[in-house]
Amino acid sequence: MLFENMSMAFSAIKVNKMRSFLTMLGIIIGIGSVISIVSIGDTMRSLFADLYKDVGVTQAYISIGYWVDEVRQSDYFTLDEMERVKEIFGDQIAYIDSGMSTSADAVNKKTTVAFDFEGIDYNYIDVQPVNMIYGRYLNEGDVLGRKKNVVMSAESAMLLFGVEDAVGMTFRTSLYGNVDEFTVVGVYKKEISPFQALMMGTSTDRGSAYVPYTLLTWPNDYFYYLHLYASEDVNLTEFLNQLKAYVANSKGRNPEDYRLVTAMEEMTSVDSVMSGLSAAVGGIAAISLLVGGIGIMNIMLVSVTERTREIGIRKSLGAKTRDILIQFLTESAILSACGGIIGILIGVGLVSGIGMAFGIGVVIRPAVVVLAVSFSAAVGVFFGLYPASKAAKADPIDALRYE
Amino acid sequence: MAEELIRLKDLVKIYDTGAIKVLGLKRINLTINRGEFVAIMGKSGSGKSTLMNILGCLDRPSMGHYYLDGIDVASMTPNELSEIRNKKIGFVFQSFNLISRTSALKNVELPMTYARVGKKARRERALKLLDRVGLLVRAEHMPNELSGGQRQRVAIARALANEPPLILADEPTGNLDTAASEEIMELFSDLHREGATVVVVTHEENIADFTDRIIRFQDGVVISDRRKGETT
Repeated sequence: MLFENMSMAFSAIKVNKMRSFLTMLGIIIGIGSVISIVSIGDTMRSLFADLYKDVGVTQAYISIGYWVDEVRQSDYFTLDEMERVKEIFGDQIAYIDSGMSTSADAVNKKTTVAFDFEGIDYNYIDVQPVNMIYGRYLNEGDVLGRKKNVVMSAESAMLLFGVEDAVGMTFRTSLYGNVDEFTVVGVYKKEISPFQALMMGTSTDRGSAYVPYTLLTWPNDYFYYLHLYASEDVNLTEFLNQLKAYVANSKGRNPEDYRLVTAMEEMTSVDSVMSGLSAAVGGIAAISLLVGGIGIMNIMLVSVTERTREIGIRKSLGAKTRDILIQFLTESAILSACGGIIGILIGVGLVSGIGMAFGIGVVIRPAVVVLAVSFSAAVGVFFGLYPASKAAKADPIDALRYE
Repeated sequence: MAEELIRLKDLVKIYDTGAIKVLGLKRINLTINRGEFVAIMGKSGSGKSTLMNILGCLDRPSMGHYYLDGIDVASMTPNELSEIRNKKIGFVFQSFNLISRTSALKNVELPMTYARVGKKARRERALKLLDRVGLLVRAEHMPNELSGGQRQRVAIARALANEPPLILADEPTGNLDTAASEEIMELFSDLHREGATVVVVTHEENIADFTDRIIRFQDGVVISDRRKGETT
């Protein structure tokens, strides 16, 4: 009986091809847009997750809270304190520095390039791997001796010196007022995806370089942040709370007075903003599904009226209320599900096309696709219910007499 | 004594049009035996269509009883009546009432589909019935590709699908020319000879002449009931 109903439904749909297509169009657009929006959202989330993985999810900043009214000199950090933190927490800390960076113009003869200088410790390469192509990375001596040595990216070297191998070359810049001469000791290369470049705002006309962090804490050696990477195997939340508690205690403060910013937290909040956003836009797109469903109901009502006589004939031949109900429900469900399937194809095609154009791997969750098809069929059944029950309740005599 | 197939007892049909109540049928008492070939005649408004609808279980009487094949169908629900129509009655209509854009074969299969007959058995029987009415070669044709007479023969094949005890034809020749009309009536006569009970509603005397018994209606009552060979 199911098969009969399906074949009856298909032939009824085929009879009015144009009308059926236009009816489906509402569902096609609805499902297509829901699928593409949800998939674009999922793709963005996965891109951000990758981005944060690159940035380092164990990364954290600790500083005196901006909400603390009277900030004392002792609320800031010193190099000695940093050393003590390193001793106490040992292996749990993979890397630590003062989290300072600055921007200044670098001058080589007649060439001036705006540079971003990041103050790092010699083992920063362990947590932010780069590929050294010329010279060496900063070493412990550079850091402890506050040597005016820098490691810069190949692109930056190209900008400032016109060559990638700038090892041994010097330039002048002022990090804190005084103009000094700096020497390039190494050049690195870092592969980044186009999406990362976009998100991190890496511009092609600015240089970037690493300097010993001790240079940036100069001259008073007080600094605002502890910037650290926890080891991979520690319980991040627990460890960071212990650290915060220790820091606050050592400074005679409550732990609540210190602010802890973690990449994990940011990632979670970005993720929740993104999923919220895609749910909201997806929800708006779902309204078009509702409109599509009403379109189906409308056309089914027309169809029921047009086929009143057919309903009468069927009833005279022994069709029961349920037979007619199921016949029309099947028709609207098929109409809607076909629209859903076409909508999925269009949505998936669209998203894959965009992904290919931008060179990113798109995320299309099978669950979303399955949900979309079932939802569209459910829309068909729901909006087909009223027309179908109207058909099923028709009085056979009146229906047979209908012209 | 022949076995009775239809028995109407004090059957009344009232039409409630809101403002006034119209008495469509006034206490009809009527018996039709198995194997009879009967014509029901009357002018329009005589009540013959009302009787036809009740005999066909498309409508229910307002009062009284209607025993079809021993079952009182007067108080059945619409779904129960569907089942009775499916099993006990084969309809032949004036306007053929084939389902459009559906092949002759599928049309003949339809009552069996609603009776939940298996696909293969359904098809076999439908082909046999189309052969019986001489339209086997037209099995895959759509109704609009058939002549009026052919359509009516498909409708007769469909009426026979579930081997109902009663064939009920409502002005079966109303839309046909003389030749086709005779063909159809010959077909009914053949079915009658094979033992079927055929009731034909008509207003044409020459059509009624094919039958063995003519029941005349006027103003909702039977005014004459005459068997062939009898004189009034």
